[in-house]
Amino acid sequence: MLRKYLSSILLATALCTGTAYAGDVRFVVPPYSSETEPFFKEVERDFEAANPGINLVLEFTSWETLNQKLTTDIAAGSPPDLALIGTRSLTDYAAQGVAEPLDAHMTPAFKDVFIESFFSPSMIDGKLMGLPFAASARAMIVNTELFEKAGAKPPTTWDEFMGAARQISKLPGTYGFGLQGQGVEVDAYYFYALLSFGGRILKEDGMSALNSPEAIAAAQSYKQLIDDGATQPTPTSYGEAETFALFKQGKVGMVFTFPMLIPQIKKEAPNLKYEVLPIPVKTTSATYGITDTLMMFSGAKSKDEAWKVIEFLYQDKYRAAFDEREGLLPVTKAVAASDYYQKDPDMRAFTALLPVAHFAPLIPNFDQIADITVRALQRVYLGEETSEVALNRAATEIDVLRKK
Amino acid sequence: MSTALSHPPLLPLAGEGKVRGIFRMFRMSRAFWLILPGLLLTALVIGLPILILIWTAFHEVSRFGVLLSFNGFANFADVFADPLFYAALLRTIVWTAAVVLGTLLLSLPVALILNEDFAGRGFARLLILLPWSVSLTMTAVVWRWALNGQSGLFNHLLLQLGIIDTPIEWLGTAPLAFMVQIAIAILVSIPFTVTLLLGGLSSIAGDVYEAGAVDGATGWKSFRHITLPLLKPFVNIAIVLNVIYIFNSFPIIWVLTQGGPADGTDILVTYLYKLAFKFGQLGKASVVSLMMFAVLLVFTVVYAALQMRREET
Repeated sequence: MLRKYLSSILLATALCTGTAYAGDVRFVVPPYSSETEPFFKEVERDFEAANPGINLVLEFTSWETLNQKLTTDIAAGSPPDLALIGTRSLTDYAAQGVAEPLDAHMTPAFKDVFIESFFSPSMIDGKLMGLPFAASARAMIVNTELFEKAGAKPPTTWDEFMGAARQISKLPGTYGFGLQGQGVEVDAYYFYALLSFGGRILKEDGMSALNSPEAIAAAQSYKQLIDDGATQPTPTSYGEAETFALFKQGKVGMVFTFPMLIPQIKKEAPNLKYEVLPIPVKTTSATYGITDTLMMFSGAKSKDEAWKVIEFLYQDKYRAAFDEREGLLPVTKAVAASDYYQKDPDMRAFTALLPVAHFAPLIPNFDQIADITVRALQRVYLGEETSEVALNRAATEIDVLRKK
Repeated sequence: MSTALSHPPLLPLAGEGKVRGIFRMFRMSRAFWLILPGLLLTALVIGLPILILIWTAFHEVSRFGVLLSFNGFANFADVFADPLFYAALLRTIVWTAAVVLGTLLLSLPVALILNEDFAGRGFARLLILLPWSVSLTMTAVVWRWALNGQSGLFNHLLLQLGIIDTPIEWLGTAPLAFMVQIAIAILVSIPFTVTLLLGGLSSIAGDVYEAGAVDGATGWKSFRHITLPLLKPFVNIAIVLNVIYIFNSFPIIWVLTQGGPADGTDILVTYLYKLAFKFGQLGKASVVSLMMFAVLLVFTVVYAALQMRREET
């Protein structure tokens, strides 16, 4: 009874707001940068010109509110047709039966567009639940001018990295290492160190590996840098944007980052002299990577039309424009073979790290696990707890979730 | 509904006895029928979501709001077993009390000054009320950048004035960040509270003060024994309304720290948001919503009671 009322209210709302006509394809897009919206607007214009009768409705929402938007849309019974999501969330969507398997739509020719290995994160129980849309392996970017001033050498090992961070911090108003301690991806920022120390996010048996000696030592080395004044003071007030802003302002010598920072630097700080280098090595040459997925919803109202949008979007012309403007790594063969990715030294440095990249594990409740990890790290950075105490407890809390 | 019916008739009725009784019943039922459509609509818009919320709280719920199975008080037990809930609850009490009292203590003198006649009073009133017109989220975003440790305007200003000699990271540690958030919440609550108090002050007739002055009440005495008692109903309403607004105020804390670092600035409403939309624990989240609703309902009833008492006097 309740449901019936609820659905009639929702129907009435949908009719009033006029968003749900048949033939509309609703596509939720979280922007990567200020380039995202103009790019998708161009796609919309071109797509509608090429496909009269199909209306592409773009809905932009920030990465931070993406899950909230999709949850409310799905709970209200009106999911969008398409959405870009972090691949790490795909498991939850697939497990709840919200994601539409795409195997039926895939043709051999279309499959051949992609770099094969990127499919594997989207394969769940043998079905393709999404298409790779964006990939980024992370690397270190250094401000070469600051290194010269401080008389330091860009590091290749973790110990050199710690030394260089301390040395650069001696320059007035300058800090060696920009450490992100707030907001999304505080966990990722720590995983660079964790992986370099030879640690893992999950053990073989799927339980948390945050209480391993490597993981504790990695967190300890970040804390050491904070205590030595080799990072910006109180990293826990620096989100991603604030940390990268310090780098663009020339106030920090090194940051770990995704390739997306490169176009931002070129645009906002064109005079900054920088170099892209691998993450410094403690015991293992490694980095952390993220992929994003384009998914279709099982409750989508216009699946065939939505598939037309997908095919349109994966034309080389659009893929190349998107990857280059956003500074992402290619997921399609043609773009990977293009001059830009073969010759541009910055992009080559990032692409070179793909073979050693560890991608976010595909497990349910990843967001909650990330939250537990971040809370533990923040306690360490603030000096409220030792890395041993904080990470041991985090591992215990995560294991409870993993056993569910 | 019962309050609407037990309300005294709007106009005094002439005559005595039976005729009056029938007439009165007719009037009452007419009033009832007139407000009925409004009541039904309100019940639908406000009541239905609350019913669904209660229903949800007793079910196991999927990440996307599908009710799976009835699970009794399991969601409640989950919430009560979560240490983060108690921390957020305690912080919510501190937050509400500090912001409401702080706002009142600052708004009262401001309202008293703005009630005096002086050149440029209109402009001063405008200045005080202006922040009201800016969206709370935008205010919070501006503060977030202004409070940035390395490049924020606020530190820059303090450094220039020589008040501090090294930049302060305002949002980096939870206790300091929470104090800053309380201060900002007080600042943004002042315009509304001042307006309310100004209304109260202007309702106090001048001759009361003249009479007081004849009896020797001036300055503090006049404030203590005339202004404050007569302003009391307005102060009460300001407290109750501010409690309602502040208790579940989301943007300042969310924009500035997202409840961090290390969940050290989480209040119930940010904790609730994380439960529902970051962790997908909608069952647990509806329990917390219900509890918040119960608290706010109490304050709303208090507000309604205060309002009615004011209308009667």
